[in-house]
Amino acid sequence: MTALIIDDEIQIRRLLRMALESKGYTVRDAENGQMGLQEAVFLKPDVILLDLGLPDMNGVEVLKRLREWSSVPVLILSVRDQEFVKLAAFDAGADDYVSKPFSTAELLARLAAIQRRQGAHDAANLQLGPLVLDPVHHEASLNGHSLKLTPTEYALLAQLVRHAGKIVTLKQLLRAVWGPQAEEQSQYLRVYANHLRKKLEGSTLEIKNEPGIGYRLEET
Amino acid sequence: MSATDSPSASPSPTPVSLAEVGQYSCGLTLVFVLASTCWVLLPYTGDLFVALVFLMAIVLAGTWWNRGPVLMMAVVSALVWNYFFIPPQFTLHIDKPQDMVMFSLFFVVALSMGHLITRLRAREATLAQHHQEREHLLELKHRAELLAESERLHRTLLDSVAHELKTPIAIIRTALDGLGQGNPYAKEIETANRRLQRIVESFLEMTRVESEALEPQPDWCEIGDVLHAATKPIQEELAAHPLLITGTTDLPLLRLDSRLLAQVLGNLLHNATRYAPAGTHIEIAASLAGSTLELRVRDHGPGLPLGAEDQLFEKFYRAPDSPAGGTGLGLAIARGLMRAMKGDIEAHTHPSGGAEFVLHLPVKTRSAA
Repeated sequence: MTALIIDDEIQIRRLLRMALESKGYTVRDAENGQMGLQEAVFLKPDVILLDLGLPDMNGVEVLKRLREWSSVPVLILSVRDQEFVKLAAFDAGADDYVSKPFSTAELLARLAAIQRRQGAHDAANLQLGPLVLDPVHHEASLNGHSLKLTPTEYALLAQLVRHAGKIVTLKQLLRAVWGPQAEEQSQYLRVYANHLRKKLEGSTLEIKNEPGIGYRLEET
Repeated sequence: MSATDSPSASPSPTPVSLAEVGQYSCGLTLVFVLASTCWVLLPYTGDLFVALVFLMAIVLAGTWWNRGPVLMMAVVSALVWNYFFIPPQFTLHIDKPQDMVMFSLFFVVALSMGHLITRLRAREATLAQHHQEREHLLELKHRAELLAESERLHRTLLDSVAHELKTPIAIIRTALDGLGQGNPYAKEIETANRRLQRIVESFLEMTRVESEALEPQPDWCEIGDVLHAATKPIQEELAAHPLLITGTTDLPLLRLDSRLLAQVLGNLLHNATRYAPAGTHIEIAASLAGSTLELRVRDHGPGLPLGAEDQLFEKFYRAPDSPAGGTGLGLAIARGLMRAMKGDIEAHTHPSGGAEFVLHLPVKTRSAA
């Protein structure tokens, strides 16, 4: 597996390289946006770690140009942690966002999650830990017991399972479950997320909320 | 002319102002003075000259006065000319047909002069007003642009300072993660680094609150999510203080900026963990009165220093015997954030001991059923 790190801080690049190489990644790095885009073209990496504060161009701009031709998973690494910055990155096509300073374990978990997503679409049965979804009959079971879900709850849970471990933005969820005209109706989502939480209570699965951004289904 | 002249008089004649009354009387006086002078000169000049003098006076008056007084002058001078100067004198009766034509012409010319000139002036005044309005708008726009530019600069500066301060902390954190858990020295560095991170974030947040570069982004949320976001960054500190949470499950969906409220709660909880003895509970009670959310955070520590209930929200305020560490910014930030959200925060010592902070926040609600 190849990872490309685009960050202007040499120490961050060195440390990330060590952390990633210890997990079996082949690592390349670039110190600015232009070089990063070139490397992405030549290297065709499996995952990209992108800093937002690059010397030659904004990381969001790098991401937009990258998204013109590539759907490679991108993890944003940034010291900026305001909501609007994160939302701009997600709108530009980021797969996840980790604020600096970050925990290495968390970073590696997020990286794994955004790469796993690539293959998850084709599976006949969606599964996460004790939870199994049957997309044909729209049925779910938890720990082998059938889980009663309304069609809306099923659709929401399916979205979260499909992107397990990865943040799914409010907009993505609303669009996928309620349709494009519902993008602003986040109150629906809160209600149904709450229902799902209650139904998953006592299991190892947790629906986590990232304020203002979205939801993440994680197995603890 | 006289002191009652008003060069900037409003072009609209409808409300008769004091200045206009002055203009009417000045007009009458002027006609009287001219008529008397011309009366004396009549034998040398003839009545046509008098008509021209009156016309000139009307033209001049039109350049200064409003339409009403000028038209009045036109009428009065036509009648005066007819009565005193056109033979037979001292009657309004006119004998010769050519004098009749002359009088009618004078009347028409005088009226149209007065009318045209005042209309011209009204146009000029409107133009001047438009010009002024445009200048004013341009100035406003310029000022707004300057303000936006300075705000943008401020944000850029804040962002780059944030970047410079947080990057080394991130490097230390990542390096420590690589080093592993075993080493007790590494543990100390990690604790210090986390403290440093907290301080840096406090300073940055304080700057943001003070520069008003902070716009709440309200959205529907559950109070449980807010509490979760508030407690997650201080899990370790909270390990020694069991949380007793009441009232949160009965609340409907609330529309508020969950990130800001979580930060306020986080600051209060962090404070409580620093002042209250290990093992004591921290209580959080939530309730809704009309459209105001009330949150109470109470610890079982020593309570607040007497008389400092308001002072402690000031920047850099440190209670006399506070533990080492801490910037004295946590509560100032909490208050700044609450006020940015149109809410407020107050503190008192609970009657049965411990500090209690009360948050009030106006919220929209929606049933979560």
